[in-house]
Amino acid sequence: MTEPSDVREEPGLAEPAGGAGDGAGSAQSSPVRPASGLAAQGAPPLDSPAWRRMHPVTPLVRGWKVLAAVLAVLGVQNADELARLGDAPRSAWLAVAVGVLAVALVGFGYAAMAWRMTRYAVTDDAVHLRSGVLFRQQRQARLDRLQAVDVVRPLLAQLFGLSELRLEVAGGSGSGVSLAFLPEREADALRAELLALAAGLRRPVGAEAGDADGDAQDGTGPPSAAPETGPRRWATPPAFVTAPERQVYEVPLGRLVGSIALSGATVAAVLGVTAVLVVSVLGGEVGGLVTILPIGVGLVGLVWGRANGGAFFRAATSPDGIRLRHGLTESRAQTVPPGRVQAVSIAQGPLWRGTDWWRVQMNVAGYGQEENQPGGRESVLNPVATRDQVRTALWLVLPDLGVADPVATVDAALTGSGTDGGFTPAPRRAAWVDPVGWRRHGVLVTERALIARSGRFWRQVVVVPHERTQSLAVAQGPVQRALRLATFALHSTPGPVSPAVAHLDQQVAATLLHDQAVRARAARATAAPEQWLTRPQAADSGTATGQITTGQLS
Amino acid sequence: MSDVGPFELADLRWTRVSGRLVAARLCVVGVVLAVPVVGGTVGALVSGEPWVWAVPAVALGVMGWVGWLVPRQVRALGYAERDDDLLVVRGIMFRRLVVVPYGRMQYVDVQAGPVARWLGIAQVQLHTAAPATDGSIPGLAPDEAARLRDRLASRGEAKLAGL
Repeated sequence: MTEPSDVREEPGLAEPAGGAGDGAGSAQSSPVRPASGLAAQGAPPLDSPAWRRMHPVTPLVRGWKVLAAVLAVLGVQNADELARLGDAPRSAWLAVAVGVLAVALVGFGYAAMAWRMTRYAVTDDAVHLRSGVLFRQQRQARLDRLQAVDVVRPLLAQLFGLSELRLEVAGGSGSGVSLAFLPEREADALRAELLALAAGLRRPVGAEAGDADGDAQDGTGPPSAAPETGPRRWATPPAFVTAPERQVYEVPLGRLVGSIALSGATVAAVLGVTAVLVVSVLGGEVGGLVTILPIGVGLVGLVWGRANGGAFFRAATSPDGIRLRHGLTESRAQTVPPGRVQAVSIAQGPLWRGTDWWRVQMNVAGYGQEENQPGGRESVLNPVATRDQVRTALWLVLPDLGVADPVATVDAALTGSGTDGGFTPAPRRAAWVDPVGWRRHGVLVTERALIARSGRFWRQVVVVPHERTQSLAVAQGPVQRALRLATFALHSTPGPVSPAVAHLDQQVAATLLHDQAVRARAARATAAPEQWLTRPQAADSGTATGQITTGQLS
Repeated sequence: MSDVGPFELADLRWTRVSGRLVAARLCVVGVVLAVPVVGGTVGALVSGEPWVWAVPAVALGVMGWVGWLVPRQVRALGYAERDDDLLVVRGIMFRRLVVVPYGRMQYVDVQAGPVARWLGIAQVQLHTAAPATDGSIPGLAPDEAARLRDRLASRGEAKLAGL
């Protein structure tokens, strides 16, 4: 099994070595490596049966979106005319109906055309997507650059039994590949297949031999092999079964509701509404109520986003990595393969202190771009975690924290201050720049990760595995210089977590900068491979230690 | 001993950027500030109101300040290539030292605007997967920029690592 996979990988893995020679000689501003993972590789020929279409109901599901959007915009803009429509003549009604019909035709027509033009194909190395009516697009996501696979089921798609499959690669905005919509079964099977291929497994039986031969001969291997493998793969049961998983935690609905009730948005809403009510009652004016309406709508949207995204939140562990399932109207099943979480933050506001709840978020390359969307759903590792769940969530990302007593360390990071748990705190003179929280600023370097602690009322802990460090910085302002303090920052991929430790002693920061660069380099050298199953024994031992650790943790 | 800041690293030779960057930056600022100076002067002469002179006076003041600041800023800019990473230091009041491991580089940009080209300088910028990485080195001679780019690219490939 390993032998052919090694052979097959050669074109991809040889790139660094061969590229080094090229890079030295060539005078182009050479990209060190394609960030988006959209490297050019052989796509199947256009008439190959490997190209598959989305489910034919897709235009119906998509078209509604266009119709609803257009109607909403028109409706809002012409609200006055609509109000007068009640006593309008019949012809006006007819005109409106014709207009709606026309919009619907355009919307569904366009969606149908888009559907006709959209096709995807899966080869051993990449997922290819062709789309676009006027502006054609061909996109290729290399599977060895896969960062996460999500199966998303919006409400309307659920009614039709459809799913959207989203592959995230570590590119710029919108770099992922979205396959919308596929039948649920096909989406699940495809996800299992993509994860298996990305993990370094190869397709079994005859297809493999044909593929390997083609590759060994020339670059046109996959296309010529594709017609054979394509239909066969889908005619027979899926080549890969979904990896077994074990649920490690879930968020009860009651706790989620409680956490939302205890959130800043709710408090602001209650205070705001009370204030306006008091003012308008005392002043005898109702006009004030209208002014808070937009704010109220915004707050309701925020709360709804949180509730919708966090509902039925479940996390599981599997050989394919972390599995997260959540969502009320739009259900989402995320799979983040091992080693793809770049950083974790654990945060707690003052209102959650009594119940000891924490919000756990993560940076995953590819998710980052959608951070500003309502709720930032994808980057949530646990919307409201108990202390135990915080430990489990950390364990999911980093099975071995690299300390003797993980429980004590995590506790010291979450609630401790000063030198608790072996942390290096900010010196006393940091109180001049941060009189409230200076005791909480602290950093702990373990064998596997860097843990940064900060915030007295808004507590925050950030954990960055050494091998996920992108770059490092030390910054110092004039006041800090006078106090011989400096701020240390680690740079991570885009996302909700930005690791930094403020106001450390400048000597400590300088040492940290140097040592962390060395540690990150050493950790990268021994890090698990991108294709996480290419060394089966390593993966096995990883899970084994993980289970021991989770025993210790919980 | 304890007065040694985090930016003074032992056995490290900082390469400073070209002094022509001063000219490039001053040129841009000068063009921008010339508008209020000329406009204000003309306005004051035409209107005859004494307070209108404040406009060119302030603009000239800003010019003087920038003229004093920019050379110092440029002198504070430096970079150093170590075996495994590139260090970039900048700033006088707000100092900042960035360490970019070669194995983390995703791509390298070389840019030169019209003024920079006229003065014969270019900017090299490193990009990692983290947008916060500020690895830009402005004010390099084109030869040095090309050398650095190739060197960074080859080093990056030799030390390539995943995300």
